[in-house]
Amino acid sequence: MSSDRVLMKVRDLTVDYMGDFEVLRAVENVSFDIREGEAFGLAGESGCGKSTVAFALARLTRLPGLVTGGAIEFGGEDVLGFTGDRLRAYRWREVSFVFQSAMNALNPVIPASEQIIDAIETHTGKTGDAARKRAAEMFELVGIHPDRLDDYPHQFSGGMRQRICIAIALCLNPKLIIMDEPTTALDVVVQRDIIEQIVALKAELGFSVLFITHDLGLMIEFCDRIGVMYAGEMVEIAPAEAILTAPQHPYTRALGRSFPPLSGPRVRMEGIAGSPPDLSELPVGCRFAPRCGEALPLCRHAAPAMISYPEKRCQAACHLLQ
Amino acid sequence: MRFLMRRLGFYLAAFAVAITLNFFIPRWMPGDPTTRIFLGLRGKLTPQAMDALRASYGYDGNLWDQFMVYLGNLAHLDFGVSTTNFPEPTSSLLFYSAVWTLLLVGLATAISFVIGIGMGIYSAWNRGGFFDSVFTPVNVMLNAFTPAIVALILFYAFSLQWRLFPLGRAHDLGIEPALTFEFIINVLYHATLPVLSIVIVTFGSWHLGMRNTMIGLLNEDFVALAKAKGLSDQRIRYRYVARNAILPQITALALTVGYVLGGALITEYVFNYPGLGKFTLSAIQARDYSFIQAQLLLLTASVLIANLISDILNLILDPRLRSRTQE
Ligand SMILES: Nc1ncnc2c1ncn2[C@@H]1O[C@H](COP(=O)(O)OP(=O)(O)OP(=O)(O)O)[C@@H](O)[C@H]1O
Ligand SMILES: [Mg+2]
Repeated sequence: MSSDRVLMKVRDLTVDYMGDFEVLRAVENVSFDIREGEAFGLAGESGCGKSTVAFALARLTRLPGLVTGGAIEFGGEDVLGFTGDRLRAYRWREVSFVFQSAMNALNPVIPASEQIIDAIETHTGKTGDAARKRAAEMFELVGIHPDRLDDYPHQFSGGMRQRICIAIALCLNPKLIIMDEPTTALDVVVQRDIIEQIVALKAELGFSVLFITHDLGLMIEFCDRIGVMYAGEMVEIAPAEAILTAPQHPYTRALGRSFPPLSGPRVRMEGIAGSPPDLSELPVGCRFAPRCGEALPLCRHAAPAMISYPEKRCQAACHLLQ
Repeated sequence: MRFLMRRLGFYLAAFAVAITLNFFIPRWMPGDPTTRIFLGLRGKLTPQAMDALRASYGYDGNLWDQFMVYLGNLAHLDFGVSTTNFPEPTSSLLFYSAVWTLLLVGLATAISFVIGIGMGIYSAWNRGGFFDSVFTPVNVMLNAFTPAIVALILFYAFSLQWRLFPLGRAHDLGIEPALTFEFIINVLYHATLPVLSIVIVTFGSWHLGMRNTMIGLLNEDFVALAKAKGLSDQRIRYRYVARNAILPQITALALTVGYVLGGALITEYVFNYPGLGKFTLSAIQARDYSFIQAQLLLLTASVLIANLISDILNLILDPRLRSRTQE
């Protein structure tokens, strides 16, 4: 499905949160590519910086957050340099976002129609009936009857609301949709429905997706490639199926073990022992070393670099692989 | 609609209770108004005159008959005769003064609401900016002033010292009350200082209420989505934030009506403005019970009506309420 042409190139992305007394480096030197038509997943424990990366890519980072380093290239253009109208066009015409909470992403007191039509009117020449027609098409596309266009958010179920958010994200035919835990707030059946719908839409419309979820099984099923983050750094990028079958980094392995197998008998899961480091007191050397069962003396004083292993079609940052 | 009917029923019941209490409370108090008049005249009244007086106040016969007479009078908006402005009927005095108070309080509330909400929107949107850091605390402070102080300062400065505004009354005596341009200007001229003094002490609370509600909403996901969609600031500010933040302010508006009518008491007294407040104060001093009773009923009715209006507005403006009440 995905081609080899790169749509978005992220290089050494660094994002800080400015505190009153210290600066927290939530994301440091993260690099990865999103290819055209590809679903790229970001995995990792809570707090590792997935949302921070997602917001930075969409240029939605807000104070106290600040992108302090690196580059984001989109179709050859420098995204971090966008301002004014170019930035406005970038956001939503080229890249759109599905927020985590379907319940709160729509304004409860104005009709759903208005919340999709305003995006269409702001970015295209379409107004009035033309914009409305487009909104109706989008509703149909995500499986909601266009008769319900003028209903208010509370009249829809949680799953329908998230579909409306997806319709809003799709209405300008963007090249990339960033989905930060788009289904976490929904029940499992609805979750599956929606993911299947996104898969179908992606095949039909050919957009790329940056997908974040805590459900590793779902991610492996849906994504082409997955980047694994740990404590603000990227530790491994590999084809989705390799995350379980051929994990390279010890953290990826631990992450895989902490999830129930997709099929076969249920085995007792082992969680990952210990907890991620405090961002204000990062260990010297490899950040995962204190929790790593195989850590070498080297791991505790030198940080490993991200290295490509073409024969395994992956990249990883671990001394053990050298 | 059923929701509205239920509310209406509730308000009617509340009003019925108020009417009943209004009948019984003076009758539970020791001595009826005629006794007090009798005492006031130091016994210069014959027993026949007393009976006649008692009858004219509806205090003869058994309690049930009295109640019926009372209700009948109420239906005709007959509140008896005012003792302070004898023999003027209480109702004409009440409605005369109610018109002026309504003008004063209505105008002041409207101005204060618009200014306060406007400032609230601006300071929430530019929170932490110059305007917000200067005016928010200043308005909170103004809000803490009592109406009496503000009214006295304005009266002293503008009416007594600089003589820019009149010393009292709702309009000059020389002008014929009619819907002419001249009369309206004259009325507004007389209302300026009283209105201003009410506005000064009340707009701060609208400012603060709107500002805080809006700031709470700015962190909502739907505002983040609106921004991400690239909508204009203006659209986000009004359609996605102020639109939602106005709802609790409208409810608060209804709740303040009673308070504002109370606040107008002092203001009217200071500016010698012929409104309900001024007459209520003199009625209290003169123990003019029929006026006080009528005024209490009017106050109850206006608070209930204000609440009903706020219910209707909320129903129009809040779709969640609308569908919840359709079930
Ligand atoms: N507004 C903020 N101010 C300060 N620190 C923040 C802020 N937002 C996030 N952080 C910190 O940045 C780090 C990364 O947060 P982020 O939300 O990106 O994690 P995440 O991987 O998305 O986690 P989750 O899976 O729980 O959503 C965390 O340590 C978090 O505490
Ligand atoms: Mg997150």
